[in-house]
Amino acid sequence: MTLTRRTALGAAFAASLLGGAALAQAPTEIELFFPVPVDGQLARDMNAMIKEFNDKHPAIKATAVFTGSYDETLIKTRAAMKAGKPPAAVIMSANFITDLKIENEVSSLDALIAKDGSTNEKFMGQFWPALRGNAVLDGSVYAVPFHNSTPLLYINADHFKEAGLDPKKPPQTWGELVETAKKLTKREGDKVTRWGLSIPGNYDYLGWMVTALTMSNGGRYYNEDFAGEVYYDTPSMLGAVTFWNDLIQKHKVTPGGVVAGPAVTTSFLAGQSAMMLLSTGSLTHVLNNAKFPVEVGFVPKNVRNAVAIGGASLIIPAGVEGARRDAAWTMIKWMTGPEKSGWWSRATGYFAPNMAAYDTAEMKEYLAKRPQAQVAVNQLVHARPWFATFKTVPVRKALEDEVQAVLSGKKSPKEALVAAQKAADEILAPFNKETSLRNF
Amino acid sequence: MTDLTHPGYVRPARRATRRAGAVPGSGIGQGGLALVLLLPSLIILALFTYGPLLQLGWDSLQIRQGAGAGGATVFAGLANYEAVLADPSFRRALINNLIFAIVTLVPSLGLALVFAMALARSSRLNSALRSMLFFPVLVPLVAAASLFLFIFLPGVGLLDHYLGRLVANPPNWLGDPDIALLSIAGVTIWKNAGYYMLFFLAGLQSVPPESYEAAHLDGATPWQRLRYVTLPYLKPTIAFVAVIALLNIVTQVDHVFVLTKGGPSEATNLVLFYIYQQAVESYDVGRASAATVLSLLALLALTFASLGTLERAFGGRAA
Repeated sequence: MTLTRRTALGAAFAASLLGGAALAQAPTEIELFFPVPVDGQLARDMNAMIKEFNDKHPAIKATAVFTGSYDETLIKTRAAMKAGKPPAAVIMSANFITDLKIENEVSSLDALIAKDGSTNEKFMGQFWPALRGNAVLDGSVYAVPFHNSTPLLYINADHFKEAGLDPKKPPQTWGELVETAKKLTKREGDKVTRWGLSIPGNYDYLGWMVTALTMSNGGRYYNEDFAGEVYYDTPSMLGAVTFWNDLIQKHKVTPGGVVAGPAVTTSFLAGQSAMMLLSTGSLTHVLNNAKFPVEVGFVPKNVRNAVAIGGASLIIPAGVEGARRDAAWTMIKWMTGPEKSGWWSRATGYFAPNMAAYDTAEMKEYLAKRPQAQVAVNQLVHARPWFATFKTVPVRKALEDEVQAVLSGKKSPKEALVAAQKAADEILAPFNKETSLRNF
Repeated sequence: MTDLTHPGYVRPARRATRRAGAVPGSGIGQGGLALVLLLPSLIILALFTYGPLLQLGWDSLQIRQGAGAGGATVFAGLANYEAVLADPSFRRALINNLIFAIVTLVPSLGLALVFAMALARSSRLNSALRSMLFFPVLVPLVAAASLFLFIFLPGVGLLDHYLGRLVANPPNWLGDPDIALLSIAGVTIWKNAGYYMLFFLAGLQSVPPESYEAAHLDGATPWQRLRYVTLPYLKPTIAFVAVIALLNIVTQVDHVFVLTKGGPSEATNLVLFYIYQQAVESYDVGRASAATVLSLLALLALTFASLGTLERAFGGRAA
């Protein structure tokens, strides 16, 4: 027994030696840092995807490294770069790329695109126009969109019918939204047993929601072309925050204080909120778990239909050179092609950044079965880039801390936005000093 | 741990230190041997404690050379310290930490004492109850916080589910800036009271039964027995537990990460979380280091002050 095993081991060892000699070169080893912003299934899907990539590309050996949330992925990427071992590719939150570029931590992909005989315009032309703003900075391509989302209005169809409303006709304007929410809110004396509309107000989500409302109100939130400006103290944002505040204080159809994203989902699934504003990334989760029919609609508008995108893009960190860089580029192109883009979209609920994905037979079949996902895709025409400035997170938090005070009834919208603008300007000041306000 | 509360504990230890202090003078050989014996732990301490501390001190004096410099830094003196001290968010975190310390420390110590006195006598029921009260200690803080995330859910959470039957509109536990810090304190009390109870249980064993008998014969009321018999004997334990509790409060922010991320409107931003924000969200290592040095200094001062209190507490009893 032992003898045969030893012989077998010896034979295997010899074979591997021979095989090693036969292979002219060992495969290029690269690693991909990936976050999982939603439920656990994603990690398994990612490993399946990378395994398929390795099978099809014998010259490359890619390893998928799970790195937690978007924020943690940024931390771990920076830590790895500091240690001199940057990962070959990272799936990075789309609005961190401006910041990474300012810090010289991400490399331009222009040369790789040119080497393929393509141009930046042609390469980025594959992706939805709304996604290009967060990937192309100052004319150079820094990131390739991987999975993306927009905010969406979710509707409990049973509650709509019960209130005599048509769930196939979701409210389209702010006025209709208020009227609908009033009809859907249920009270017993002072106690609200069902809210008309819930909106997440935790850090990160809040900024995204204020953006959606501000853009629907004709505003911009930040300067898409320059990382040193945000437009907090403006009529369009004042209108947006006032609208949210009125939903709470005046119309009493939305719960006050801060309600976090998961709490909003739970409340909707438990039938305690008839409508909610939430990411399209949660669509699969909500449809799979709701015990009632769910319909979706665009984020209602005041001035125009407009929302910001969310999601993540693939980047190659600065300092990745030579064969590793080429291998990473091969992987990035493979992962963002029409076929894989569509497959990932169906697995997760995010929409596929590559427009050609929607021409594939599988995608057409999927959308026929899930008309709600089609609404999310239709809204993409109205989508715009996501806020990305110098020090994106603190600048966003400057607004969020103040708006949270409004939601809790502690400040008026005007007071809050003036304070938020002041705080954000202070954070942006060092950047402006070196760029827009430089002395010549 | 029980021995710590014994009145004679500190005295011999102090004498031992003095004797050890005399060794290096008595012969180089002996000193060299001591050094060799200490070397392994010295190396580990140098690598993982003193080294990083020096690095921290150095980083706190550096400032990033502005955007686009690829993370290059220049020496900036105390500029980072000035910036931190002038930052309203830091001051807010400091005040939050003080409030958090008071509203956590007093109830958790009080509860622990009550539990310990109620369950001091050993019986099968009491040991079962003790295990139950100790159970939260066994749950990791992150896991406990995740549980409470569900308990605190507005409308559908466990707390609102039951409270909703009594009160029309229960508060938004984590979403109201006035209440969020108290909710976090509640989790901390739930988590730690059982742990402190253990120390008090041990401390209560050192109260001689004769003292109670004497008090009983003198006709002391239960309150008087607590005030004049139990508490004086427990003084060293209380001092010790207070120090442990204070350190826990400053060094544990796992639940803030899970429950509120410092919000809403910075209402639950504690100093340790502020440091994390500076390092990670603002990517400002210099400021984060300066804030760390400041809080380390505060912790050191706190430790020395409380060790002094401890020694006095122990010493006072022995004298």
